[in-house]
Amino acid sequence: MSPFEIQFAATILKVVFCLVLSLHVPALMVWIERRQCAMIQRRVGPNRVGFFQFRLMGLGQSLADVIKLLFKEDTPPAAAHKFYYWLGPIITAGIGLSAFAIIPFGNFVLVAGEQIQLQGINLNAGFLYLLAISSLGVYGITLAGWASNSKYTLLGGMRASAQMISYEIAMGISLIPIVFIYGTLDLNTIVQAQTGYMFGVIPAWGIFKAPVSFVIFLITMYAETNRLPFDLAESESELVAGFHTEHGSMRFALFFLGEYVMMFVLAAFVATLFFGGYEIPYFPQTEMVAQLTPMLGQSMALWAAAIIGFHVLIVKIGFFMLLYVQVRWTFPRFRYDQLMKVGWVYLIPISLINVAVSAIIFAIIKSI
Amino acid sequence: MLSLPELGLIFSACLFFVGMFGIMFRKNLIMMMLAVEIMLNAANLAFISASKITNTIDGQVVVFFVIAVAACEAAIGLAMVISLYRAKASIEADDLKLLRG
Amino acid sequence: MDLTTLSFLILGCLTVILSVTLITRRSPVAAAVSLVGAFVCLAAMYGLLEAHFAAVIQIIVYAGAIMVVFVFVIMLLNLPPEELRFGRLTPGEGLIALVGVIAAVALTTKVTDGALQVVSSNLPSGIARPPYYADSENLKNVAALLFTDYLWAFEVVSFLILVAIIGAIVIAKKRGRHVKPS
Repeated sequence: MSPFEIQFAATILKVVFCLVLSLHVPALMVWIERRQCAMIQRRVGPNRVGFFQFRLMGLGQSLADVIKLLFKEDTPPAAAHKFYYWLGPIITAGIGLSAFAIIPFGNFVLVAGEQIQLQGINLNAGFLYLLAISSLGVYGITLAGWASNSKYTLLGGMRASAQMISYEIAMGISLIPIVFIYGTLDLNTIVQAQTGYMFGVIPAWGIFKAPVSFVIFLITMYAETNRLPFDLAESESELVAGFHTEHGSMRFALFFLGEYVMMFVLAAFVATLFFGGYEIPYFPQTEMVAQLTPMLGQSMALWAAAIIGFHVLIVKIGFFMLLYVQVRWTFPRFRYDQLMKVGWVYLIPISLINVAVSAIIFAIIKSI
Repeated sequence: MLSLPELGLIFSACLFFVGMFGIMFRKNLIMMMLAVEIMLNAANLAFISASKITNTIDGQVVVFFVIAVAACEAAIGLAMVISLYRAKASIEADDLKLLRG
Repeated sequence: MDLTTLSFLILGCLTVILSVTLITRRSPVAAAVSLVGAFVCLAAMYGLLEAHFAAVIQIIVYAGAIMVVFVFVIMLLNLPPEELRFGRLTPGEGLIALVGVIAAVALTTKVTDGALQVVSSNLPSGIARPPYYADSENLKNVAALLFTDYLWAFEVVSFLILVAIIGAIVIAKKRGRHVKPS
């Protein structure tokens, strides 16, 4: 097989892998969310639904939920605009599923002499793709809210999309110092640049080099996915169910899916940009491969290192997903005007000042 | 077969005239603004095709500025549409004839 | 015909179809959504022409911000669908349409040796001038040019955006507390 064919087949396999991984996340997260919220609220949570007499701590609950949602009756409102009613959930779910592809989950492996980068697709635009994805994700909510032709949903949809576009700005600006520090937008290069040490002891993670960026990105991450403390648009006590009131059964499942997958993608971004991605702190992949090669040979050593790196990334992503759930069940939610005030009056100026200060510090460091 | 940038120039011309017909034949102000956006994008495509043909980057920098200016124009245009709608409850171009004799 | 040209052709035709859809829709929301689709196709075309920065900026700014504002205004103003009059053109407008099509063909082609060719040889094939990083990403080159030769334009455009923000807020504000709603 020619190199082009190998790379083409590898790309298709990687993209399918990213898709399948993203699709598994909501199923697991439903169970984690309900059990963890139960733990926070000092009760037990779903622990009965299992398979074939085995309780399995209630892991079958997700499957039961999916089956229920699939078989529920779909009741579109009579006056709904059919095309957009149908398009809203599709955009939300589809956009989220396509975002995981640029996250690197390993360095590279060798297949038939060809070096295959373990990143779904390697874009020239790098992590600007994420900003593009969240920009397009606004349409799912806006169209879904409007298409149901009802007061509550329109209001919820407008609020949710206004919130998302406001926090998108702070998210984008807070990522500029990352470009100063690493000089590139490519995520694999950024992960590789985090393998060194600062002051000889601390791993050179992004969070130590750009802490303010990390904090702002973390806050905007919650706002982008409409999770507490920013979930006024879909809160049960405020607007019935916000923009997805009239979307029942599988449409609601698609919104749910889109939200969890977006959480997963953003958690992966934080792990990649600020916490070293698939690299273990004091044991970089190159050293791991060098130590494994005498035992397994070069090619198998690379595969073993790749698998270990992937699991390290999953552990880091898991930490941020758990943080999502903890924050949801701990904090009260913002009122809408408080929410917009935080986005425009506090976060955007802080991120702009962050850019200016980072630029000055970077220029000083570079000229030394 | 034509090369990619030449195809881009042809598509740019088509898009420009589609936008022009949109402005000529629609009365709704918002539809006219959307047609203007199509024309601006046709110009962008022409710039980028030209940048590919001449092997320079200036075309892409100009596209950046065109997008920024289009954003400003859309914002102000929509603000005016909102203001007009409040004043006259209609945004058809034929109904805005207060200055006509 | 290789894959790149084929996908460029498909995307270009899709863009033209979506823009024709845009100008023939009665409901403004349908027009706005088809315009978003056209922008995404255009961004893909920019990517095929190796203008990666322009492609990403097109989606983030044009499809993701400008069109969201359009969609907001259309939804909040609750604009009714309008009547089209494509079937009832006056002769003057028909003439303009015909002239337009002829002009489109005339602008893009020329006749050489009895055959129709696309005008591209008039453009000079320049040398990429410094600052230019030959083996580097498109973004680095665009940024290098943007902040050296076009720096003045960059600052002016940022000031223009500031003025536009203030202008939009001022123009769209409700006027005068003393006006009674009728």
